[in-house]
Amino acid sequence: MAEVLTKKEAGAFSFGKEEKKLLTDPLNDNNPITVQVLGVCSALAVTTLVSKAIVMGIAVIFVTALANLFTSLLRNYIPKSIRMIVQLVIIAFLVTVVELALKAVNYPIWKDLSVFIGLIITNCIVMGRLEAFAMANKPWKSFLDGIGNGVGYAIILVMVAVVRELFGKGSLLDFKIIGSTPEYLLNTTSTAWLSWYSPNNLLVLSPAAMFIVAIIIWIQRSRNAKLVDIS
Amino acid sequence: MHSTSYIIRFTLIMTLIVAAVLSIMVSGLKDTHTLNESVYNKKGILSAVANQLGKDVNSLTSEEVQTIFEKQIIQKALNNKGEELTPEQIKSITGASSVVDIDLGKENKKPADQRVFPLFVYKSADNKTYNILYTRGKGLWDEIWGYITLDSDLNTIAGQAFDHKGETPGLGAEIKDNKAWYTQFTGKKLYNQAGEYKSVAVVKGGVKDKDHQVDAISGATITGDGVDDMLNKGLAYYEPYLKKNKK
Amino acid sequence: MGDIINIFIKSAFIENLALSYFLGMCSFLAVSKSVKTAIGLGLAVIFVNGLTIPLNWLLDHYLLNDFFGQDLTFLRFIIFISTIAALVQLVEMVVEKVSPSLYNSLGIFLPLITVNCAILGASLFMITKEYNFAQSVSFGLGGGFGWFLAIVAIAGIREKMQYSHVPAPLRGLGMAFFLTGLMGMAFMGLMGIDPAAFK
Repeated sequence: MAEVLTKKEAGAFSFGKEEKKLLTDPLNDNNPITVQVLGVCSALAVTTLVSKAIVMGIAVIFVTALANLFTSLLRNYIPKSIRMIVQLVIIAFLVTVVELALKAVNYPIWKDLSVFIGLIITNCIVMGRLEAFAMANKPWKSFLDGIGNGVGYAIILVMVAVVRELFGKGSLLDFKIIGSTPEYLLNTTSTAWLSWYSPNNLLVLSPAAMFIVAIIIWIQRSRNAKLVDIS
Repeated sequence: MHSTSYIIRFTLIMTLIVAAVLSIMVSGLKDTHTLNESVYNKKGILSAVANQLGKDVNSLTSEEVQTIFEKQIIQKALNNKGEELTPEQIKSITGASSVVDIDLGKENKKPADQRVFPLFVYKSADNKTYNILYTRGKGLWDEIWGYITLDSDLNTIAGQAFDHKGETPGLGAEIKDNKAWYTQFTGKKLYNQAGEYKSVAVVKGGVKDKDHQVDAISGATITGDGVDDMLNKGLAYYEPYLKKNKK
Repeated sequence: MGDIINIFIKSAFIENLALSYFLGMCSFLAVSKSVKTAIGLGLAVIFVNGLTIPLNWLLDHYLLNDFFGQDLTFLRFIIFISTIAALVQLVEMVVEKVSPSLYNSLGIFLPLITVNCAILGASLFMITKEYNFAQSVSFGLGGGFGWFLAIVAIAGIREKMQYSHVPAPLRGLGMAFFLTGLMGMAFMGLMGIDPAAFK
């Protein structure tokens, strides 16, 4: 089916200024988390470790990109009255695919992320982009928009996770970097920097993620006055 | 506006496609999933003898895990009198086809005289025998469990591994992540010098009894109490077996 | 019975969906600008949570776990989200017919709820916690009630915040994040309370 449609929309694969904007806009000025306030829930739960955040980021990029693509391909065939359910089924289908794949590829991470993989379904980024973009645009553009938003989400996720893991556990990607106390991991042999620093457990707890996102918003809005909330 | 019959047709076709693709994926990946799960559980057990293995358990491949289990580990199941059960008995009492598959959470809900306890005997490269005991209890949010390795004197703890279903990261979850905490157990003893069962207690405010106490994690009182309770009750079930085999 | 009250207290206060698990944050942050709308959304969440969780429990136990000898649990996500979406739409239609005044106050929030991860999250937690039917009813209502309390409380604070001198870049969203974090920390104080003690 995809082949037929791509022929019909030949020439749609150009990559000009407009397409580039679709990819780069969500990274900063229109970031899904800090500006559109979408998909915050999972941003908090999975950012205790950088490795978890990266896996989650990849999963979300995959789901947003393909859900946008499929919805856009089907946009003229979806009956209006059951639009929401159809979109949700597409998303839930992709999420199940991700879950099954992750369970086969990396079982421990799958176990760690537990219900949060399932919660990608209700990650408002995906649903929000389907409604706002894919239902009204051509497949190629929708696909790019999906990737852009997924990456924008993943960047914030990894940023929060880096702060939380580095200062909360003293490690990055499970390698001990700073701090004195416990070698949390069996594979660390080298001595860490800043041995006087004792990792701050508060950062591993979920409220810390809230504070870090708030600080990111603070910095971003100080630099770009357009985004400031007037109300 | 689409007609009702179109909507029904659309829904049916979509459901069929989605269900078909997913069922193909599920049946195709089934073997990998079961293999991954069993390797994950086995790695959990091997973490309790990480010192004796001399290797980081997480770096083992699934083949290596399987060979260690085949060659160096004897799997047993005991009843509450300390007697070993045959595979047929295990199957008929617990419904599990192998010792690794025994669901201890389910066993703990049965009356004490019908429970089955898994035991893993590890033979190290230098021909020493270690008994790995398995215990399960409740933490703050959900289940916690632990594997405790006993030295050949069946008294001194030679290794340990804890895990949990959903403790708070940074607090309760430290029982699994904080190496400085869990290695406290190594060297502790289950019995006092008079030969009475004492277990190992998790205490706040400093260890007084060097042989039978470890420091609690600050901020994770309930999880610590859970570990304390789980060790005290869970390891006691192995007492008849330990007594019988002690020289 | 004590067990059921336990689960209600536990899911409403100790394992609060919004402030311990941070679920349903999108609508939590977007709709908490005034107490009045927060109450509307909160009530809608109690209502839908209380209905979908038992319904999903029934579907999971009688359809997915054993479908003519087949294990269909891999379809869990799709079934759960369809149930939620369908139920929300149904409730919307029924409420509109039966009580237009209730529809006017609740109606606009109902579509928002489908994508509220507190609802799907609670359904998935209900599976991992292995509740039975009565417990899942209590968990659904308790979870919804906890979420209601949380959003009304945060909306109250945000209303007061209007009169405070917040640095311009932090106004609105930024401050909402800080407040939610602080409230989450406050709720952590409830962690570890044993509800069985209240029996």
